[in-house]
Amino acid sequence: MVKVNEKLEEELQAIFSGEVPWITIVWDDPVNLMTYVTYVLMELFGFSKEKATEIMMKIHTEGKAVVSTGSREEMERDVARVHEFGLWATLQRGDQQ
Amino acid sequence: MSDLQKGFYPHGENAFVINFSESEREVLINLSEQIIELLAERTDHQSDDPLAAMVGITSHDTPPEDEVLLRLLPNAYSDQVDASEFRRYTESTLRQKKQAHAMAMRTSLKTAIDGVIEIDRSGANDWLGAINDVRLALGVRLNVEENSPEELQLIKPDDPMHGVYAVYSWLGWIQESLLEAVMNGR
Repeated sequence: MVKVNEKLEEELQAIFSGEVPWITIVWDDPVNLMTYVTYVLMELFGFSKEKATEIMMKIHTEGKAVVSTGSREEMERDVARVHEFGLWATLQRGDQQ
Repeated sequence: MSDLQKGFYPHGENAFVINFSESEREVLINLSEQIIELLAERTDHQSDDPLAAMVGITSHDTPPEDEVLLRLLPNAYSDQVDASEFRRYTESTLRQKKQAHAMAMRTSLKTAIDGVIEIDRSGANDWLGAINDVRLALGVRLNVEENSPEELQLIKPDDPMHGVYAVYSWLGWIQESLLEAVMNGR
């Protein structure tokens, strides 16, 4: 029998109730170069240069931008990958923006 | 820092080359070693469970008290309980991955012949990540959140932060040249 922890319970509930997915947000940072942010978004999320530049500009001008959407587990993986490259990301439920 | 520097440039299909003076190489080796050391596992809360340690689960879940470390290992959730839980399962791996980037940079610097460094695309990602971590660390010390680039440029030469800002800017310039070389044609 699978040990159902809180996280899994939430996940399953989300699947069956058709709830809104989770999102990964990248926050603006005065250290990271604009070109670097664009490159990291291209490398990690497979965005085209145009799309990555657009998201980078949103982060730069608005302070943050959503970079991916999916299950909580997927967003945790995305956040970890973004942190590896030094951008600051957080995840949260998509309806709590 | 030499004026003749031209930063990274592409060399063939999948290689990027840069030429460093001896002193530049030493500065970079030193910085990569500092990052490796900074990211070493915390000794204050070692896991007693060897299996947990093996799969990267640590018993500590509080954010690092050091401001620099906190910037390198940031919270993944605004909620503290969720952030702690996430940290417990992932911080150790994040430290290792960041250390690996810095170690790869250090190795290519150490094995350079006549100051010439050649890296491939994967090496470029190591360098970009490692340089960025050093810049994040220096950025905390320079308080770039509060101080504008204009203010930082006015730091007096007798202030230790003057040299720190010079290195910070130089690293930004190296990073930018590598990004340009890597992104060229993409």
